[in-house]
Amino acid sequence: MRAAFKFKTLYLMMAPILAYFAIFSFYPLVRGLVISFQQYRLIGDRPFVGFANYSDVLKDPVLWDTFGNTLVIGAGIFALNFILPIVLALSLNEVASAWFKKITQMIVYLPHLFSWVVVGGMWILMLSPDTGVVNQIMMLFGADPVNFLSSDRFARAVMILTSGWKEMGFTCILYLAAIVGINPALYEAARIDGASRWQQVRYVTVPLLVSTMKVVVMLNMLGILRMFDQIFVMSNGAIADKVDVIMMYTYQRGILQFEVGPATAAGFLIILATFAITYVTRAVIRYDEG
Amino acid sequence: MKSSNQTSWQGRLFDIVNVLFLLCLVATMIVPFLNTLALAFSSNLASMRPEIILWPKEFSLEGFSTVWSRMQLYLPFTNNVIVTLVGTAGHVLLSSMAGYVLIQKGLPGKKWMLSAILLTMTVPGEAIMIPLYIVNKDLGLLNTLSALILSGFVSGFSVLLMRNFFQSVPYEMSESARIDGAGDLRIFLTMYMPLAKAGLATVTLFEFVSRWNQFTPAVLYLNDPAKYTLQIALKSLIVDTDSTSSNFMITTNVRMAGIVIALLPLIVIYPYVQKYFVKGIFLGANKE
Repeated sequence: MRAAFKFKTLYLMMAPILAYFAIFSFYPLVRGLVISFQQYRLIGDRPFVGFANYSDVLKDPVLWDTFGNTLVIGAGIFALNFILPIVLALSLNEVASAWFKKITQMIVYLPHLFSWVVVGGMWILMLSPDTGVVNQIMMLFGADPVNFLSSDRFARAVMILTSGWKEMGFTCILYLAAIVGINPALYEAARIDGASRWQQVRYVTVPLLVSTMKVVVMLNMLGILRMFDQIFVMSNGAIADKVDVIMMYTYQRGILQFEVGPATAAGFLIILATFAITYVTRAVIRYDEG
Repeated sequence: MKSSNQTSWQGRLFDIVNVLFLLCLVATMIVPFLNTLALAFSSNLASMRPEIILWPKEFSLEGFSTVWSRMQLYLPFTNNVIVTLVGTAGHVLLSSMAGYVLIQKGLPGKKWMLSAILLTMTVPGEAIMIPLYIVNKDLGLLNTLSALILSGFVSGFSVLLMRNFFQSVPYEMSESARIDGAGDLRIFLTMYMPLAKAGLATVTLFEFVSRWNQFTPAVLYLNDPAKYTLQIALKSLIVDTDSTSSNFMITTNVRMAGIVIALLPLIVIYPYVQKYFVKGIFLGANKE
């Protein structure tokens, strides 16, 4: 009790934060878990139905379609967002001119700051069939205009490329920060041993970026299942079956159709999948070894 | 890396190819922005023509006046400013308070608090969007700006970031102040807050950007257009309406003017963002 008195102010300072997390993190989690086993109704009792909600969503072909879309688009974004920023960072690092480096860095980072509404809106315009810049350029070369955002063939590629376009600069800057931290004496030593420029990159820079790569892999892996804003903004009726991801499924069933039980069950399946992905990724890249 | 024996013709060729590669990349980054800007400042008619426009055609502010007054974008803009300012201020204050508590030595229950906060970071918020919707509904927060302000009012990431910043302040300072009779609130406000300016700037900028762009909570909790925030108003302006759906024609310059308005505050703070973001990401990721 004496301890509690001595630390009274500290506990009072922490109280609002813990209260906030209790109401907006832990309570929804527990409440959601309960709802996922209930037949949810606005009025009246809510009988427990066992795993009925879970088997409902697991038997729903739409869940598996959206899950498939999530995997395909997610894998594409993951690969692109892994390769592009490293290439960009290494390439920028070879540039001698400091101002060119700085300006390029500034420009490629810019889209990361903007919302998917802004970025999606810009690309919807760029890709529009008759007035969009992309089609204008294609027509200059004699190609027929393509309606990218209502085409089954291109819709997923558009999602992957626009995501790469938006996030490339952000990840690149993480790598550049790591490169700046590399001890110049290592390059000195490599040069004395007769290493060429390429060999310095291959045997000094890249190995020292591995721990940053691990952070990037973790961040991007966890981002796959969370994908929502981009698809919400850029999807449309014509391509929904190709691009709608699993969060869209939860949103549509829970908010638009108000089938709260199944939607919540889907949410918990996503949480389980998140834990599985985290666990597997950590093991595969040996994250805990630094 | 740029020693003299490397300036062979191969090295020079590589440098040229490398710079060309970067220039191509920069072009793909810059063209969409130039296109957007140029269209926003073009006249209604010019913005609808099928041409590559990278510089305003028939310079005009029609797009801006239409979207701002006639389509009343100033309403969602004001809502966005309110949510951003109140939300960011609260977030910074709560995160630094929690960060300060978590650096205290010998505080009973500290480990337990830290674990609770770390636990909130393991569950992706999107996965519990339906239960969160129900909680907000039960609290009567649907269709209020308070729901948006409270969404992410404090986060584990920012708490850790502030804690890691406060840890670099010498602990002896607070101990001697305590001997002189200063309470925790005073030590926190007069010693720690001023010394953690860089940390406060980082959290403020992170939060400002994500608040300004806040989208999913607005989609979930708002369906009254009077309460719309900027992003969701923009979404219906750009994506949901085709150009003839309302009582007048929404030309391309109007849509692009909307985008430019949404970009503006972020462009203003961009120089500061660059300075603090990277450091912040690494500091917030340290959970030890």
